[in-house]
Amino acid sequence: MIGNTKKWIGVAGTITVLAGQFLISPAIFAAGGNAIEEGKKIAFDRKKGNCLACHNIINAPSPGNIAPALVAMKARYASKEELRMQIWDATIKNPESAMPPFGKHGILSEADLEKVIEYVWTL
Amino acid sequence: MKQLFRHLTLMVITCGFITAAQATTPEEDLKAFQNFYKKRFPNVEYLDYVNGAYAIDPVGRENWEAIEEFPPYEPFIDEGQAIWEKPFANGKSFKDCFPDGPALGSKYPSWDKEKGMVMTLPLALNNCLEANGEKPMKYKKGPINDILSYIAFESRGQITNVVIPSDDPRALEAYEDGKKFYYTRRGQLNFACAHCHLQNAGMILRTEILSPALGHTTHFPVYRSKWGTVGTLHRRFTGCNKQVRAKPFKAHGEEYRNLEYFLTYMSNGLPMNGPGARK
Amino acid sequence: MQKKSVLISSLLAWMLSSSLATTAVADEVSAEKVKKLIEAADEARKQAASVGGEWRDTSKMIKKAKGLLEKGDFVAAAKLANKAAKQGHLGYEQAMSQKELKMPSYIHYE
Repeated sequence: MIGNTKKWIGVAGTITVLAGQFLISPAIFAAGGNAIEEGKKIAFDRKKGNCLACHNIINAPSPGNIAPALVAMKARYASKEELRMQIWDATIKNPESAMPPFGKHGILSEADLEKVIEYVWTL
Repeated sequence: MKQLFRHLTLMVITCGFITAAQATTPEEDLKAFQNFYKKRFPNVEYLDYVNGAYAIDPVGRENWEAIEEFPPYEPFIDEGQAIWEKPFANGKSFKDCFPDGPALGSKYPSWDKEKGMVMTLPLALNNCLEANGEKPMKYKKGPINDILSYIAFESRGQITNVVIPSDDPRALEAYEDGKKFYYTRRGQLNFACAHCHLQNAGMILRTEILSPALGHTTHFPVYRSKWGTVGTLHRRFTGCNKQVRAKPFKAHGEEYRNLEYFLTYMSNGLPMNGPGARK
Repeated sequence: MQKKSVLISSLLAWMLSSSLATTAVADEVSAEKVKKLIEAADEARKQAASVGGEWRDTSKMIKKAKGLLEKGDFVAAAKLANKAAKQGHLGYEQAMSQKELKMPSYIHYE
């Protein structure tokens, strides 16, 4: 229950969450919307996030199937911070994880990483 | 409390595991390695692993079979034969270094006790050239691929049979070194060879099916459409390391030689079918 | 070493107290600092290489940083040198953390 509550409050604006949940055009919510859109671009970019190499995202072009599909993120992660840790270095949680440590190894810049988290959190 | 118990159990299992892993012989490694694929792909015939990703990818296989009808590596085989037969400046030729003929595939890699190192076929070929006052070939691109194509073609059907002699502990060390290389994470992307070709073999990376490591060495050198030419095993190692954003090692330097020793040993029992063709 | 160069530079600045000379001296100080950063990055790269843990782009970054330094773009050069140094440290740490081979759990020995 606590996790559930946490899930819905604070973190970079409930607006962002709502935009993702009810598919309201993110453009209406300028600040959060931009970060999400930019995050999506980075996530899809083969040289940057390249999430699609391994993860499926609904309606994404030619995704891989190595890792779990990026859906229901808020049910799978108690907080954005927890999701952040997974993207920062997935081997903390699972030493055998094949996921590259996007934050720890500087594969994404801090700024890009934050945007990707904003985007993935909406999935 | 329950959780503590679970942790303890996990620790015990892990510890038991590490000890077991350290104590394994190459024979045990081979069995565990090949069993892994048997379980992962229960419907793939053992001998079909020589066909790489096409053993598990029916769509790709159709394209590949069409390519194999007019093999893109054929001219390389012919060119290689010419090189094999052409005399050196001193009148000798490769035939003098390798009196048993060009079907050398299953003789390499092998442990060279005298030199205390893994001897690979390309190294042996260059040793022959240098011993006869000729310039050695480059290890990744160029004429080496011609002669390797010819040798591979002549060796088709031979069974991979890498030997780790027990009378020289350095041979086992070289094997263990190659094994460690295979399971070690490298580069900014933090992948080991094993992450793609063992743990995730058969999965799809964007649009590519990750090929099983079993059978990886049987079909080299390989014509890759991506390269537009035939390339060597060590060129492929280089490419893999670059893809994970690690600095590649020297072709036929110690790291890759030992890796080849381990990786080829893991395919012991499979027939050789080089040169191959891949995407 | 760094202290010394700062001292010399300050001395120079004091002696030639025209505004033009001050700019030149400031540049010299920056150049010296960035040069040190690049050297440190190369040390880190070599340390990673010594354990087989060098990354693909580290030496390219160092080369590029040197070019930027020559052009007088100290900020970009310093940034890149720091990035390269970080790669060197991470590559070293990556290799050292795997000194002992741990076989993955999905390989089963009988």
